Amino acid sequence: MAMQALTRCNAGQATAGRNDMAVLTVKDLRVRYSAKGPEILKGIDFEVEDDDFLAIIGPSGAGKSTLIRCVNRLVEPSGGSIHLLGEDVCSLNARALRGLRRNVGMIFQEFNLINRMSVMDNVLSGRLGYTGNIRSLFRAFPRKDVEQALYYLDRVGLSDHINKRADELSGGQRQRVGIARALMQAPKLLLLDEPTSALDPKISREVMALIRDIALELKVPALCNIHDVQLAKEFCNRIIGLQDGYKKFDGATDTLRDSDLDDIYAMEVL
Amino acid sequence: MAATDVNPTALSLQADLRRKRFLKMGLIWAIVLFFVAWCLQGTIIEDTDWARVGGRSGVLGSIGRYLTLDWGLLPELLIPTLETFMMACVGTVVGCFFSLPVAWLGAANVTPSKMILYPLGRFLMVLSRSVHEIVWALIFVSAVGLGALPGILAIAMRSVGFISKITAEAIENIDAKPVEAIRAVGGNQFQVMYYGILPQIYPVVLATVIFEWDINIRRSAVMGLVGAGGLGLLFFRQMNSFNYGGVSMVILAILLLIVLGEVISHYLRKAVI
Repeated sequence: MAMQALTRCNAGQATAGRNDMAVLTVKDLRVRYSAKGPEILKGIDFEVEDDDFLAIIGPSGAGKSTLIRCVNRLVEPSGGSIHLLGEDVCSLNARALRGLRRNVGMIFQEFNLINRMSVMDNVLSGRLGYTGNIRSLFRAFPRKDVEQALYYLDRVGLSDHINKRADELSGGQRQRVGIARALMQAPKLLLLDEPTSALDPKISREVMALIRDIALELKVPALCNIHDVQLAKEFCNRIIGLQDGYKKFDGATDTLRDSDLDDIYAMEVL
Repeated sequence: MAATDVNPTALSLQADLRRKRFLKMGLIWAIVLFFVAWCLQGTIIEDTDWARVGGRSGVLGSIGRYLTLDWGLLPELLIPTLETFMMACVGTVVGCFFSLPVAWLGAANVTPSKMILYPLGRFLMVLSRSVHEIVWALIFVSAVGLGALPGILAIAMRSVGFISKITAEAIENIDAKPVEAIRAVGGNQFQVMYYGILPQIYPVVLATVIFEWDINIRRSAVMGLVGAGGLGLLFFRQMNSFNYGGVSMVILAILLLIVLGEVISHYLRKAVI
């Protein structure tokens, strides 16, 4: 049953993917947090195609997190334009923005789970954008959402932990809850904000592989902040290099040379 | 090095320092003693009707009158005791109800307007606590008349300050990460509060409400002194008719009620945390 729902969902995405427009188009994106503060992003342009698994690499403070948060406007851009799924993100009102956000799954560095709730309730919270206030109040999610949640929990390997509290799990397991929550949104784009940097190297690789496999399976493009260049090379088809708010590199993974890396990380060497 | 070999300059500096400190301490003590004496003079010595106090036997005799118990009052105690308990419960619930919006206004990170509504929320918290429950009761007795209702309202108003202040502080101290996650899935304002904020603050809020309920039993016991229902009214009547045994009975009932509240809140708090 859940599988059928999933297949239908895939079919929908596949047709949407045939549009000639890129899923995400960012032009001259600028951000400053306060009027007098420094500019964090200084005119970034890039596109995400519908089969991209795009890595954003760069030293700490380069603006990776800010960039990714502009896409669903958790951070308000101060200039430039963002077009996502054919909509002008910056011009949306609060209601339309919520409608857009539910199409964008986000996975966080520190998982951002609700610790006092069960794994199941955390995963179901991915459906909140589609759920009315009364249902939310009683956590009365529709049966098909519960089925879908059980399917994804199985897919990420957490079938034995469904009713545990989120804070009882290990780091890797918590990130799997985060992944299942994002998938519940039936996302058309995945935003990954350093999904592995709170995890040890072995678990990091497993989690990245899981995310990539699911993204391929569901044909969802992904935009992934990552500071670990090895992981980026291994899992992503395209790489953008940021340094101090400027884009320093943009190309397929196999075109990234050591000299590019030296350029991107030049500031850190000093 | 012998004790006589010390540097004479260091020695004289030390002596100077110590003399100054001695004078300073002496001055502070003199001021404190003078202040206490002045207060005693103004309050106890001048203000007491020493003829009324009489001898030692007079004082002990007056206190001794309270040591009898008027068991005949027992049947009349039951209803007011119950009423006191109910006033405390309903007052706490109503107080919680009013605390929610006040906490929402007065928590810096969720307030709808930092310029106007945040200071208003903070002001309401201070107002609730700076007016004594008896004064609140007097206000509500004159507004809605005698009985338990003004008592309930007074308790509710007095509870708002503490509950909303603790709640607002809990909201200000939450971890912002789950809130970000709920915003990112497209949750609305209500869902962000209900899923992102509430699970983080509810243990603190519940413990505070139980604590406040415990205090409210004490408060509701004196509400009757100004005509706002409960045991206080009975207390007032016994006192006016010089039935000292009856007064003691009422005090005993209050004591039992408070012990009961203490026991219940102990177990409730254990269940919550």
